[in-house]
Amino acid sequence: MSFRTSVSIVASPRPRVGKTLLARLLTDFHRQEGRAVAAYDLNSGDATLRQFLPAQTASAAVGDIRGQMALFDALVAPDDVTRVVDLGHDAFEAFFAVAEQIGFADEAHGRGIAPAILFMLTPDRTSVEAFRGLRRRFPAATLVPVHNEIFGPTQHGDRYSLSVSETVVRLPILAPALRKFVEAPPFSFADDVTPRPAGLSPDGQDELQRWLRKNYIEFRELDLRILLADLRSSITLGR
Amino acid sequence: MARPAVILVGADKGGVGKTTVARTLLDYFGAHHTPTRAFDTESPRGTLKRFHPEITEVVDVNEVADQMKIFDTLGSAPAKVTVIDVRAGLLSSTLQALNDIGFLESAKKGQITFAVFHILGPSIASLDEIAETSRFVGDANYYLVKNFINNTSFFEWDPTTYDSYFKEIKGAEEITIPKLNEMACEQVEVAGVPYVSFVANKSLKGEPANYSFVLRGYVRHWLGNVWSEFDRVKLIDLVAPKMDNSVRQAVG
Repeated sequence: MSFRTSVSIVASPRPRVGKTLLARLLTDFHRQEGRAVAAYDLNSGDATLRQFLPAQTASAAVGDIRGQMALFDALVAPDDVTRVVDLGHDAFEAFFAVAEQIGFADEAHGRGIAPAILFMLTPDRTSVEAFRGLRRRFPAATLVPVHNEIFGPTQHGDRYSLSVSETVVRLPILAPALRKFVEAPPFSFADDVTPRPAGLSPDGQDELQRWLRKNYIEFRELDLRILLADLRSSITLGR
Repeated sequence: MARPAVILVGADKGGVGKTTVARTLLDYFGAHHTPTRAFDTESPRGTLKRFHPEITEVVDVNEVADQMKIFDTLGSAPAKVTVIDVRAGLLSSTLQALNDIGFLESAKKGQITFAVFHILGPSIASLDEIAETSRFVGDANYYLVKNFINNTSFFEWDPTTYDSYFKEIKGAEEITIPKLNEMACEQVEVAGVPYVSFVANKSLKGEPANYSFVLRGYVRHWLGNVWSEFDRVKLIDLVAPKMDNSVRQAVG
């Protein structure tokens, strides 16, 4: 059985590591690829996913059963919509507790949806243990380590004991001068959607496009990995 | 020929979740391919009959005609396991009636396997019920069931008092039914299907349904925990000893 679509959960137990940026890029990437995409924002505060991409994003919460139903029932809906979840650090525990209890990854599998967890690598102990925990609790999900290069060149793969199949996805640095344009909501990376922001020079625009293309190359490979995960795992387990 | 088994599920007070436990038992035996029949003493039409209509009959356990229907057929009925959901407040008097018709005597002689699931509520008054029923239980397999399905709060009993009552009954075992989210409980009630059907996303007629995946997940997780308790006390070995412990296909 192959996967028709995917759910990507961008996660880290730490705040301010680039989750929302990654979620935005992914959402816009899928739109660029012509897919129907829906995003879910589990963050509070400013500069959240919903503020950047209001048309694609729904606010979500896992604190009560209604919120859980609204979110998880949507995540496994068999409608061929690609989904992206921006999991705020303070919802990390609650989200994965529910996901584990209700068998989210297995249910998604059963409906032809590839579940993927995009985990932001940082060298702290909390994150390392959280990553190991996810590996153990969600064998049916594709666990993808992501390195935000703004933190420096070291990927900390050794701390995480990453296996050969756990290739790190890189989020390249964007030049400081360009960041302020990208960080002011609403801002979409998708071509021809947002007019060029005032103050962004043509050179700046070109550099932004180059940066975007680098990301999209990583994402296309990532996409293949996620959608083919079923094939790989069925070969290994001899199903 | 297999020895028939009778399981009484009762409580001396309403609202403690007695029928819930009876339903999980029926699902458990179903999953183990153990043919079971059920009698519901809630009249005119009880909850157990609503959820398991095919295998449940409504009876009045104090009426002679109904007693004959249940007990005269123990050996001849195709289903060797009988579950009786005793109406709230009638557990002691039902046990008295069973004593009077010689049923408890047969159980004592090993002709019938007899088990009592006594569902306890969280209030202190529940403890007196144990003393009441313990007179009749004798050598029956006695299970004290703490049902937390609707309660996050602790039980009011004093642990020492509880222990002293518990020890009144030889070989008594304790079973804990964990909490199930209210909305999940409610949706199962509304759907009107057995727990396993809800988990499998099927309607009463066996057709595909559209229950919430989240709620189905919670129910599956909860039911798995309940069945683990039944596994722990080796319930299948008790009522249907020749059956293999089949895979719990319906759950997990």
